[in-house]
Amino acid sequence: MNPVDRKLWLASITDRYVRGGMDRRTFLRSAAKLGLGVGALGAMSHLSARSGLGLISPAAAQENIQWPEDMSNWLKEAGKPFAGQTVRLATESTPPSNAINSALKGYFTEMTGINVEIETLPLEQVLQKLTLDVASGLGTYDLYYLDQSWMAAFSGDVIDPREKYESDKNLAMPGYNIDDFLPALVDGISMYDGVMVGVPYDIPIFIQMYRRDLYEELGLKPAETMAQYLSNAQAIQQAKGPEIFGTTGQMKSGHYSLECDWTCWLWSHGGSIFGPDKTFTGNDEAGLEAMNYWIELKKNMPAAVDSWTWDGQGQSVAQGIAGQLISWGEFFPSWDAPGGSNVVGLMEATVPPKANSLRTVEQTGFGEIPGVGHQGGSSLAVSKYAKSPDAAWLFAQWATAPETQVWITVLGGGTGPTRQSAYDDPRVKANAKPGIAGTTRHLDAVRETIANHMGSEPDLPEWAEISNDTIPVELGRFFAGEYDSPKAAMDAIKTKVDGIVAG
Amino acid sequence: MNGTASQRMLRILAAWFVVGLFALPIYYWITVAFKPNRDIFALPPIFFDFDWNLSSFEEVFGISFGFDKGLEVLPGGGNFYMLPNLWASVVIAVLSTLLTVVVATLASYALSRMRIPGQHHFVFFVLSTRMMPPVAIAIPMFFIYKSFGLLDTYTGIILVHALMNMPLAVLLLKSFFDDIPTEIDEAALIDGASRVLIFRKIVLPMAMGGIAATAVLCFIFSWTEFLFVLTLTQTAFKTVPVAASTFVTSTGTAWGNMAALGTAAMIPAFVFILLVQRNLVRGLTLGSLKQ
Repeated sequence: MNPVDRKLWLASITDRYVRGGMDRRTFLRSAAKLGLGVGALGAMSHLSARSGLGLISPAAAQENIQWPEDMSNWLKEAGKPFAGQTVRLATESTPPSNAINSALKGYFTEMTGINVEIETLPLEQVLQKLTLDVASGLGTYDLYYLDQSWMAAFSGDVIDPREKYESDKNLAMPGYNIDDFLPALVDGISMYDGVMVGVPYDIPIFIQMYRRDLYEELGLKPAETMAQYLSNAQAIQQAKGPEIFGTTGQMKSGHYSLECDWTCWLWSHGGSIFGPDKTFTGNDEAGLEAMNYWIELKKNMPAAVDSWTWDGQGQSVAQGIAGQLISWGEFFPSWDAPGGSNVVGLMEATVPPKANSLRTVEQTGFGEIPGVGHQGGSSLAVSKYAKSPDAAWLFAQWATAPETQVWITVLGGGTGPTRQSAYDDPRVKANAKPGIAGTTRHLDAVRETIANHMGSEPDLPEWAEISNDTIPVELGRFFAGEYDSPKAAMDAIKTKVDGIVAG
Repeated sequence: MNGTASQRMLRILAAWFVVGLFALPIYYWITVAFKPNRDIFALPPIFFDFDWNLSSFEEVFGISFGFDKGLEVLPGGGNFYMLPNLWASVVIAVLSTLLTVVVATLASYALSRMRIPGQHHFVFFVLSTRMMPPVAIAIPMFFIYKSFGLLDTYTGIILVHALMNMPLAVLLLKSFFDDIPTEIDEAALIDGASRVLIFRKIVLPMAMGGIAATAVLCFIFSWTEFLFVLTLTQTAFKTVPVAASTFVTSTGTAWGNMAALGTAAMIPAFVFILLVQRNLVRGLTLGSLKQ
């Protein structure tokens, strides 16, 4: 049987298994006959990836995962000189990191002899650890998990993966294919000032998500414009409030999540954070229009959004008290997990509404890319101070290789792959079913949003401070009523941000 | 003092109300560990009527990672496997408490009974090490630890926790020793006892209550300490407070697992307090009356 037929057959038996038309034993036996033990887990991932929070059963994974022979043979050879070395990575607890840490890294160690130690922490603590590592130059970590908002700050402390791939052919994984990464992501999350800071690792991105049952009941359609999005929220609120709110938010004062929400409304109303002269422009006419829109939208949110980060926002949907949202697509699988939410199988995903108008990159500053689909992607970068840079580079390639990305996607329950081939893989498509944890049925919307609606924050060394502190603190003060008007709040932010940028 | 029956009833009700006020958050936290995800944030909150299950505990203790299938848990054990972290917390809290109490007992006895030049300045100096916010010390400690190879080691964390608790322990124990009349020491000295013998056979047993109270405080401070463990460890181990932060993921917080770990983490602290309870009550009230 040729590979395409095998994959199609696998998709078919997977479908039967998921629908309950085949028991587990028969399914595994059929998959084994195909020589595709791998495929079995693709279908079973809803059993092992519980609640979409990244919990993987290594036991289940060990039973089923097989790696392509050429990849495994190459890793065995390439890893020989580094056997016994240890690669250390500090990372946010994200679906790919959890999938690798819980279920996959053992295979890498088995193939190469290289040990992998992964420290998972909340995002702000990762930043603290990496900052300390870079400041000391001690190389306590070989690999850096870099949020897109930190690219500029760490660009001088990492090894350019393209250069490494080209210059060291012995360590260049065959079939790694850097061109397979979604081009928009390479620009949006991996590049700074002509340097490729890391390889695209994961891509949480804002998509539009809504309750199908409510939309059908109220005769609503997914919004195609920002005005429709607001009117949909108002319609739900009017018909279903106060039990169900029109929409929800992640608007905790002083938290990065608040800045993420703001950029979505800012960019969709033709605004930008910076202008071409590299000064803050959130207080211009478009910026104020965005603030007024946000204020109207907030009237249809639970009052508690002021204390919620993405966690509270996701929970509000899971509890069934929010009708729609534009937010992180990686929430989506957790809502489909049986027992994990009150909206199992009820949520739908689509692309964000069209922006009222969009500024071009040339009309902004510091490489900012306006777009409704705010992206929060991250890269995996080899530290310039690494104690085992070559072993780390092998691991980085393996962790972002096409085959590994497929596994991360079917095990990780939520992440958006950064490679085109992963979106097209039958094992990923086989999980695009409602009502299962680890569903991938939102990934079409994710892929299209990356291609056509993606917004990226500016790249400047001070951005981590501005986005994680300055802007969300002042926005929090505005929503707490400390400013008389949006204009006063935005003017205050401008003064602070311009001061920081000017040094 | 006793009042009428209705006054007594009122006092009892008020006491139960206060107990309930303190116990309710703990009860609710424990129920979160047993709730399915969808019930954790249910509105209105569910206090009793939910589907009890042990899945959060099974994940935190590694039961669902293959123990039942006889398979080995992968290195790192999965992100939600917390048993090693619980063990690390116990080892660090017990050993750092032991170290603190031994050193602080000797130091405070000396400060209480012996006269050395600049004694008051010395006591002030001991206390001043607690005046700096820990965050100001954490980063220099990182560099020092890196140089001495103490980063990411049990020894390093035990030492830093002992150092952190030492000033408080010394001052507390000094006040306990001060409350033991010096006449007892003097009587023993006249009878020919040495300083060491007096300390071991007479003063130490009398101060046991204070030592127990100090040990409980040191244990709890070490058990809940976050910043130094976060800064001075990497991948070798984590204590419970830092490990619990890994439940905060980019797709939400695993509240059920966090509550399961929190519930489990209360047990060693309770056990420790129970072990020293007999002396603790005496220690907490020691010095409350001046003669």
